Amino acid sequence: MSIPASIRGFRFRSVDGPAFLAGLIIAVPVVVTLVAGLMNGGGHAWTHIRDTLLAGYTVGTVGTLALTAIMTLAIAVPAAWLVTMYRFPGRGLFEWLLILPLAAPGYVLAYAYGDLMGLMGPFQVAIREATGWTARDYWFPDMRSLPGLAFVLTCALYPYVYLTARAAFVSQSVCALEAARSLGASSARRFWQVALPAARPAIAAGLALTLMEAAADYGAAEFLGVPTLTFGIVRAWQSFGEPAAAARLALVLVVIVIALILTERHTRGRAGSQQSSTRWRTVSRAQLSGWSGLGATAACALLFLVTFALPMSRLVWLVMESRGQIAPIGQALVNTLILAGSGAALAFVLALVIALTARQSGLIAGFARLMASTGYAIPGAVLALGALLVMGYLGITLTGAWAIVALAWVYASRFTTSGAEPMVAALGRAPASMGYAAESLGASPLRRAVSVDLPVALSGAMAGALILFVESLKELPATLMLRPFNWDTLSVRANAYATDERLAAAALPSLLITLAGLLPVILLSWRLGHSRPGDTE
Amino acid sequence: MSDHLTATNVTRRYGTTAVVEGVSLTLEPGNITALLGGSGAGKSTLLRLFAGLEPLDEGEIRLGEQRLSAPGRTVPAEKRRIGLIFQDFALFPHLTAAQNVAFGLKSRGKEAARAIAAEWLERLGLTGRADAFPHELSGGEQQRVAIARALAPEPAAILMDEPFSGLDPALRGSVRDTALAAIRDAGIPALLVTHDPTEALESADFIAILHGGHLLQQGEATDVYLHPESAAIAAALGPVSRLRAQDLPPGLAGQDVPAGTELVVRPEGVVLDDSSPVRARVTASQLTGPLCRLLLDCQGQPLTALVPRMNAPAQGAEIGIRLDPALTFIFQSAGS
Repeated sequence: MSIPASIRGFRFRSVDGPAFLAGLIIAVPVVVTLVAGLMNGGGHAWTHIRDTLLAGYTVGTVGTLALTAIMTLAIAVPAAWLVTMYRFPGRGLFEWLLILPLAAPGYVLAYAYGDLMGLMGPFQVAIREATGWTARDYWFPDMRSLPGLAFVLTCALYPYVYLTARAAFVSQSVCALEAARSLGASSARRFWQVALPAARPAIAAGLALTLMEAAADYGAAEFLGVPTLTFGIVRAWQSFGEPAAAARLALVLVVIVIALILTERHTRGRAGSQQSSTRWRTVSRAQLSGWSGLGATAACALLFLVTFALPMSRLVWLVMESRGQIAPIGQALVNTLILAGSGAALAFVLALVIALTARQSGLIAGFARLMASTGYAIPGAVLALGALLVMGYLGITLTGAWAIVALAWVYASRFTTSGAEPMVAALGRAPASMGYAAESLGASPLRRAVSVDLPVALSGAMAGALILFVESLKELPATLMLRPFNWDTLSVRANAYATDERLAAAALPSLLITLAGLLPVILLSWRLGHSRPGDTE
Repeated sequence: MSDHLTATNVTRRYGTTAVVEGVSLTLEPGNITALLGGSGAGKSTLLRLFAGLEPLDEGEIRLGEQRLSAPGRTVPAEKRRIGLIFQDFALFPHLTAAQNVAFGLKSRGKEAARAIAAEWLERLGLTGRADAFPHELSGGEQQRVAIARALAPEPAAILMDEPFSGLDPALRGSVRDTALAAIRDAGIPALLVTHDPTEALESADFIAILHGGHLLQQGEATDVYLHPESAAIAAALGPVSRLRAQDLPPGLAGQDVPAGTELVVRPEGVVLDDSSPVRARVTASQLTGPLCRLLLDCQGQPLTALVPRMNAPAQGAEIGIRLDPALTFIFQSAGS
């Protein structure tokens, strides 16, 4: 076997040091957890967990992922197709309204739906009032079930598939679709046999993202009482105080996540998806008139209502109703800003290093990028566990400043890649020859990174920083596990109230988190609207 | 014998601007018609109107006796049996070459479709590539698959939108020859949209020149080349030198050039002739391959000549020239 040229030709360059360090910082938590899960014995709690809980956790996670996948595909792909290919009343509005659910984390939707659909929620009350039945006389969907959890996660996460499917439909298949028309294919055949298969890898990538996030969810599963592996990891740490057992659970979870990633890779297969298109054509949307147009509008409106407008209005209503009795959340807000701020700051620096070194492709830069995208796939609870284990090995007690450091580290480990993306994109818009020009003028790789690439990357830095901050602020399980004693953040506070069944009190922090979440989503939809070469009105 | 594909007085507007206006064009079976024009001339729109991908606002499009498009009535593209070939090939990325070709043969049944697809691939020299996916094919192979795919269902006509400009120049000629031979054999009307006059002249039997949504001139390729109706058309079909009547060096034209007109001459119409009293100085001599391009200064007027490399004069030489009347055209001056 020959050694790849990139390894044979390797020589250490001035940019490799920072890149290696960034990759290392990101990689340590997950590596430590995996090693601990493999090497350490599970401890006493492990025997108990293995014999009584593991099967339930695994079934809970796998079942939730499977059901979420089915529901997500069933709503996101048709929605993307409708909005891309047809004109109907409100199409332009729905195009971005349908992205908004990304702003609300799954646990926020779980609280809202738990209240809406509960025994004392408006629907059930209305049924009883209208019919005179008691709660035992009728069947009503139970949110506190695995399907309920999958429903809530679908509402929160389907936009990932919607976005990737839409981008694929817009960019790849327009000429192919016209060719299919000229070959006599009906519109149904064009969807099933041309557009969908061509978009399949993009849809699979979006679905993988959805399922990674679903696997990482803790708050919704806990609130809805569905035992999942992530729930088990937090529980093993909090109730049993047993990091070794938690690490074993983390191992199972990581195996599932890796299986997801491999499946996604596999769907790419040999068949290509990328059109070798050099020329973009405007999508000419077919007009849906009359009833079919209204039907499309109604379908999109219903989707937006169910996944976002309804639960959010319920939270607003809860806040209004319990005005005056809400515990002050000023301190939680300050804590959130400090923790999410430090996480975002660390992640930002790492993201910048990764974006700048990615430009000068090399072995080490590739390693740093790989670590960053791996970190994103790993649930926060697993990374938090790794940080805890490292702190334990070093003999550091998790208090005060150390806890903040540990938490910032975990945020950075998980989210750096999503902050690096906009910067990589900004750099990608500058021609590669710009770098060669700098080098031909005698600039070292480091000088080139700082004086040429950095100013360009900073145009994407605003978006990167915002995304990092909001992601950190929404994070729940790692924050629960690592936050300094008595340091409640908005997410922790919402979780605590919700678990106590004080949903009215959970509503305000939940709404604030969603509001913060709206910022990057709006930024994203604005960017989408301005960057799709094939999609102009 | 196949039917003619005919556009009569076709107009297409986007909002209030007409992209194609009052265009009448007949595509004859067995012949290739090149639609030539710059970007924004309306070429692609006219092709999309023929294909049924867009509705028209005025006029009509017929295939023989059958009406395909009229205002408010458009037979949809999937019902027209008109093949399309795109610049970016538009192959289905998830299907192999053979499956791509078989896509339009659904009504023939699986076995027959497979056999027909194999036949077409063989015809276009792609025998070994049947099971390759589009991204595994070279650009030239991809375009040949696209051509096989368009021709396999035996369409009533075929429309090509800059089909060869995505290809490597080295490949372009051979792919074009294979493709156009197959299309001519099919004996159906064919439209070739291009911005390249050389391609239009080399490939097409008829040429139609579109400018600003209007058809300027159409006819047999040689005819349009030798008898352009305006200086703009002459320039659209290749390089020319343009001289105003009052600037003409005496004796150069060899014919009467009335005041207020301009003289347009093709470079191969500037002939070296030592016996000619009209002298010019060679300011540059550029080798273009078998021919040599001479930039001339004829009493202050710039002229371009194209001569065989063998006896091309060197830079700085003083030579005698005359104009070939067959390649010299006289038009009213623009603005007069």
